[in-house]
Amino acid sequence: MWKLLQRSGNAVSVVPRRRWCSPGLSNAVRLSSSQMDPADERVLRKRKFQPQQAADLSEELAGQLPVKSRVVICGGGITGASVAYHLGLRGWGGETLLVEQDRVGGELPWTACGLAGRFEPSYTELKLAEYSIDLIKRLAENGLPTGWRPVGSLNLARSWDRMTAFNRMKSQALAWGMHCEILSPEQCAQHCELLSLDGIEGGLWIPEDGVCDPQLVCQAYMIEAQRLGVRIVEHCAIKKIHSEHGKVRSVETTAGDVECEYFVNCTGFWAREVGTLSKPVVKVPLKAVEHHYLHTKPIEGLSPDTPFVRDFDGRIFFRECEGHILAGGFEREAKMVYEDGVIPLSQTARQHPPDWDHFHELLDALLLRVPSFRDATLDRLTNSLQVFSPDCKWILGEAPEIQNYYVAAGNKTMGVSASGGIGRVLTDLITKGSTYLDLHILDISRFLGLHNNRKFLRDRCKEAPGKHFEINYPFEEFQTGRNLRMSPIYPQLKEAGAVFGQSMGYERPNYFDQQDKHDEFGLPRFRIAQTRTFGKPPWFDHVASEYRACRERIGIADYSSFTKYDFWSKGNEVVDLLQYLCSNDVDVAVGSIIHTGMQNPNGGYENDCSLARLSERHYMMIAPTIQQTRSMCWIRKHMPNHLRAKVNVADVTSMYTAICILGPYSRILLSELTDTDLTPKSFPFFTYKELDVGLADGIRVLNITHTGELGYVLYIPNEYALHVYSRLYQAGQKFNIQHAGYYATRALRIEKFYAFWGQDLDTFTTPLECGRSWRVKFNKPIDFIGRNALLKQREEGVKRMYVQLLLNDHDHEVDMWCWGGEPIYRDGVYVGMTTTTGYGYTFEKQVCLGFVRNFDDEGRELPVTNEYVLSGHYEVEVAGVRFEAKVNLHSPNLPTKFPDREREAYHATRDKPDQADLLSYGGVTTVKGTGIPTDGHGL
Amino acid sequence: MFKFVLNDAASYVRSNVREFSLNALRLLPQLPQLSPYDVNLVLRENEFVYNFPVDGVIRSYETNQLGSNWPCEDSRTEASFLHRNGFICGIFDGHAGAACGQVVSKRLLRYVSAATLPRQVLREQMKQGADSQSFLKCHNDNVDFVSMIKPMYEASFLKYVNQLLETPQRDVSSELVNAFLQLDEEISQEALTSNDVRTMNVALSGAVACLVHIEGLQMHVASTGDCGAVLGVLDPQTQQWHSKKLNIEHNADNMSEVRRILAEHPKEEHETVIRNGRLLSQLAPLRAFGDFRYKWSQEIMQQKVLPMFGVQAMAPNYYTPPYLTARPDVQQHELGPNDKFLVIASDGLWDFLPPSEVVSLVGEHINSKKILEPMRLPEGDTTLQEISQQLAERKAGLTRKPVDQNAATHLIRHALGGTDYGIEHSKISYYLTLPRDAVRLYRDDITITVIYFNSEHIAKLHSDVDQTEVTAPVA
Repeated sequence: MWKLLQRSGNAVSVVPRRRWCSPGLSNAVRLSSSQMDPADERVLRKRKFQPQQAADLSEELAGQLPVKSRVVICGGGITGASVAYHLGLRGWGGETLLVEQDRVGGELPWTACGLAGRFEPSYTELKLAEYSIDLIKRLAENGLPTGWRPVGSLNLARSWDRMTAFNRMKSQALAWGMHCEILSPEQCAQHCELLSLDGIEGGLWIPEDGVCDPQLVCQAYMIEAQRLGVRIVEHCAIKKIHSEHGKVRSVETTAGDVECEYFVNCTGFWAREVGTLSKPVVKVPLKAVEHHYLHTKPIEGLSPDTPFVRDFDGRIFFRECEGHILAGGFEREAKMVYEDGVIPLSQTARQHPPDWDHFHELLDALLLRVPSFRDATLDRLTNSLQVFSPDCKWILGEAPEIQNYYVAAGNKTMGVSASGGIGRVLTDLITKGSTYLDLHILDISRFLGLHNNRKFLRDRCKEAPGKHFEINYPFEEFQTGRNLRMSPIYPQLKEAGAVFGQSMGYERPNYFDQQDKHDEFGLPRFRIAQTRTFGKPPWFDHVASEYRACRERIGIADYSSFTKYDFWSKGNEVVDLLQYLCSNDVDVAVGSIIHTGMQNPNGGYENDCSLARLSERHYMMIAPTIQQTRSMCWIRKHMPNHLRAKVNVADVTSMYTAICILGPYSRILLSELTDTDLTPKSFPFFTYKELDVGLADGIRVLNITHTGELGYVLYIPNEYALHVYSRLYQAGQKFNIQHAGYYATRALRIEKFYAFWGQDLDTFTTPLECGRSWRVKFNKPIDFIGRNALLKQREEGVKRMYVQLLLNDHDHEVDMWCWGGEPIYRDGVYVGMTTTTGYGYTFEKQVCLGFVRNFDDEGRELPVTNEYVLSGHYEVEVAGVRFEAKVNLHSPNLPTKFPDREREAYHATRDKPDQADLLSYGGVTTVKGTGIPTDGHGL
Repeated sequence: MFKFVLNDAASYVRSNVREFSLNALRLLPQLPQLSPYDVNLVLRENEFVYNFPVDGVIRSYETNQLGSNWPCEDSRTEASFLHRNGFICGIFDGHAGAACGQVVSKRLLRYVSAATLPRQVLREQMKQGADSQSFLKCHNDNVDFVSMIKPMYEASFLKYVNQLLETPQRDVSSELVNAFLQLDEEISQEALTSNDVRTMNVALSGAVACLVHIEGLQMHVASTGDCGAVLGVLDPQTQQWHSKKLNIEHNADNMSEVRRILAEHPKEEHETVIRNGRLLSQLAPLRAFGDFRYKWSQEIMQQKVLPMFGVQAMAPNYYTPPYLTARPDVQQHELGPNDKFLVIASDGLWDFLPPSEVVSLVGEHINSKKILEPMRLPEGDTTLQEISQQLAERKAGLTRKPVDQNAATHLIRHALGGTDYGIEHSKISYYLTLPRDAVRLYRDDITITVIYFNSEHIAKLHSDVDQTEVTAPVA
């Protein structure tokens, strides 16, 4: 062909798409230069202020901006304002600088509902919200405009399960010192006569909730912060956050550099993008979705005292606001915006036209609930964006990547309720290093890199907002972002009928169900575990069968999601490091396993792990799945400087597949596949050996199961995993080996009274409080973190104690089950909450683990002694019904057909330190029966 | 150079094969099945939409192209006039290669835009150094002539404009006819004088054209060959769609056209001049740009063409050239408020769908497309109940939601996949996966442009015109 035509020069030029254009491009020098990238220009055009003005402004700002400030807060929204205010209160005002790329309080009016409410799913969130509300009230009392009105909040239930959730909430709330009432439908109408009671089962009334104007609250924080000396600079954008030796050193802004010690990222929508302005990138997994607010024109006769109403099952809420109605909701599937991840910098560019079709369902639900709104005239439907994290919880705390870099983001639509509390705890963390609440469920270190993947966020954050109004069922699972991390034996498990749950992105079999496990093509189906009830769960029988297999025959479970670290050094430094970090003595014989906590200076558990001493200078750490990011962060931060260069710490989680075989025949099974002698004499309980299994070698075998059953966990290099699994499963056939899921192993460990970090233990629990003082070695040669606090506590006595409660007269078929978070009453007085609970298949009772305290008449906390615990008469309140309970302080010995002296000697939770010696390496032969008698079942 | 013959054979077989083509398709060895996603990618590859920013007679246009030949022999150009309000667009269906179609597609609009510009303005512009591209703004244009032939085309254009400036302004129809003929003549001259294989290739390939010229309420459709333009008219009483054909195809089905050709040649040739429905039993369209094999005298053929391309290049029974002309058939239409859209398309579409069906498909698409647009609230106070009802209606309409936003794509999808019971995905997939050497037997290149008129603006212009007519005698 002869070419006649060519692409002309001025045709569409392909501009490389940029993920994030640093806001710092308004720099005057860059602007005047002609080689400006068109993509940069496009971003700049979206900014509110013109480049020329920006040039003037930056000169003007140059004088305003200090060269040094201890804390730099980026973001002048309500969260940033609150952090600034609290730093001011703490006396750091003069050393705090807040920079905002646009104007402070940049939110457009009414892009938030202004609810100051405390209906939150967890203690931590509730307490933070409660503090925020009190703070707003205080500000209002001091005469600052906040728009605060204590109108109360009315929460409606359309279903029995929702009412159960309300009842559980009420049980908890009383214990947590929050007032609320359960209402009949008629009582709901008394609080708000607008409502149609069609389909309403009842409601929950929280009288102390109220509404406010978020913008005014933000301004109030700002005014107060400025009064306390905080410097606020507007129209100044952060260009880079520089770090040195893993710590924040300075920030580079459009108006010059500022040296700083702490950096706080409160940039809301852009928190993820601002995270990319540092090296290494700070991962803040967030995604923006559309969120609508409906405003009517003023309605005549609308009472200003109309409460804030939430109809959870209709997914809607509404409130009165200056004579009109403000309504909104959380749709089942949210609509994603800026899927490519580039969010315009200014509010105006972020305005989206309302999507009426999307809002339709919510509008109809609203009109159904309040028929009189049908005649109300529309003022506008605003489409403001909201950001959500992948688990629909707030994100705060110190970034794992850079020390002294704090993040407060993902406040969803609840910025007002969150801001006060978040400001306070962040200020505590910055100024004191610790705070008054356990924050691990909100901590930024709960994420992995995968959570920050843009496509993962795009998928998951469609689902996250809907969760907001869902019933808070136990073991809820997300449907999106699944099949992400899978162990090498995942296809086999799926084939075997596994029903999966996700933890840190890892697919973990929760139980095995042989029914309906294939799809229409005969292929194994991916199934997500669902409980969706507060009573007897649908998986009860499956778990019962797996439980029995583990107790009586042999069970095989996938533990691959567990966090696995290797520690090693050339010299003895690794021992020094671990002695410093751990409260137990890690300098034990090679081949031993040590259960130990890593304590914080207050003695609380930052991590609870098992350490296997592989060789003289090589340890392997096994920790809970959710510790994968968190414990690395803790270790790095607390590694003494002189060891930093010498000790290697490697996250090997993804290198090993962990298969646990548990049950009385596990030893016989494993002996068939290996040449090594596995008798207790050569491979005792609580020790480690590297074994050949089948045809594979180099398998790290730990003689523990984390459940209290006999057995082994095999840490298998991934490429051998399938082989070893197949051999185990084949050889296990004659013992009738059975797959066991997470629910079964969980049931085992709860019954055996084993505490798990993240569920029972948290940063506020000390080993002394949970029957593990025998694992704290005060007389170690090295002073470990938290030693002084623990010594002090040993002197003074503990204020709370970890107990096991067995519910009497509870019919597991009919009664609501315990799912954690039930209040415990001793002699009719509230003394604490349950942490983890489950059905004890041997006891045939509900088993609750939890903490009890001892309050005197004036509410002061007194030491809790064994006598105090054992002398009381206990009850546990489950969704409003109290059940009598029997208390245990020590791990019970379960009746068994397969007695094993080793196993019976070991009690994970107990108080007598002398018993600990029985377990040290080589000392197994001196066991004497010290089991605490159980109720006598089967004995 | 068997290309001419082959190509024409292809279209000949195509016209006869289509009836049983689907049966033939099933007999072909198993073709790969495309997923709906892949089909969408293919169908939407050449989509283009332009919404006019200012209030004018035209609201927007949508266009798309699906090639069958490789490279695709169809071309399309759409442009706005620069010195006045108006729109011009054309579809060019090439044959015997894409060259002629491409060249005409780019040049014809420039010629027409200069010709219909008032001479005074044209003169001023030329004084200011205007060139061929100074009178138009093309909307979907990212190719230009290679630098070797560009100066030559510029010189031809200048010659043409000078010629225009010497003649007084004529009506639009005459100017259109003149522009067509002049351009065709220049293609001939360029080929004969430049000795460039490129220009010769342009002259020996051919193209049929359909050009729409809109200025004010006056619409002119100039058509040479077998492209088609259909106006979609909505009957305000019955809300039914009617189609109005705005051109006559120049092919053997058109008796007056056949009579014209027979009259132009001696009686002895009546048996040979049109045979098998084709000119000299070779060419299907009876008028076209280029194709100078049917236009040049025997001497020129002997001197210029045969040495280069061999004796096959000369058609059999070639006695009294020219047999072919580029003279267009021009129809004028005054736009009314009931005229909603105009579809112009190459014969690839008309082979599959009759004009009435095309109009009803686009009409339906307009209605269902409302669902794709964001909801518009009525003016003034609206109660939430009213909004809820409106949303419910939209929701009901969602079931009819079209797959394509672009009406041209919608037409292509129906052309390829339409069955009595709706769109059949496997049928489209078959058509799209045919092997490259066989595909021409089953479908031709399809190019469609749908122009949407702004009825409110047209109505306003009409009432303005009426008023001036009423008030004029008084003044």
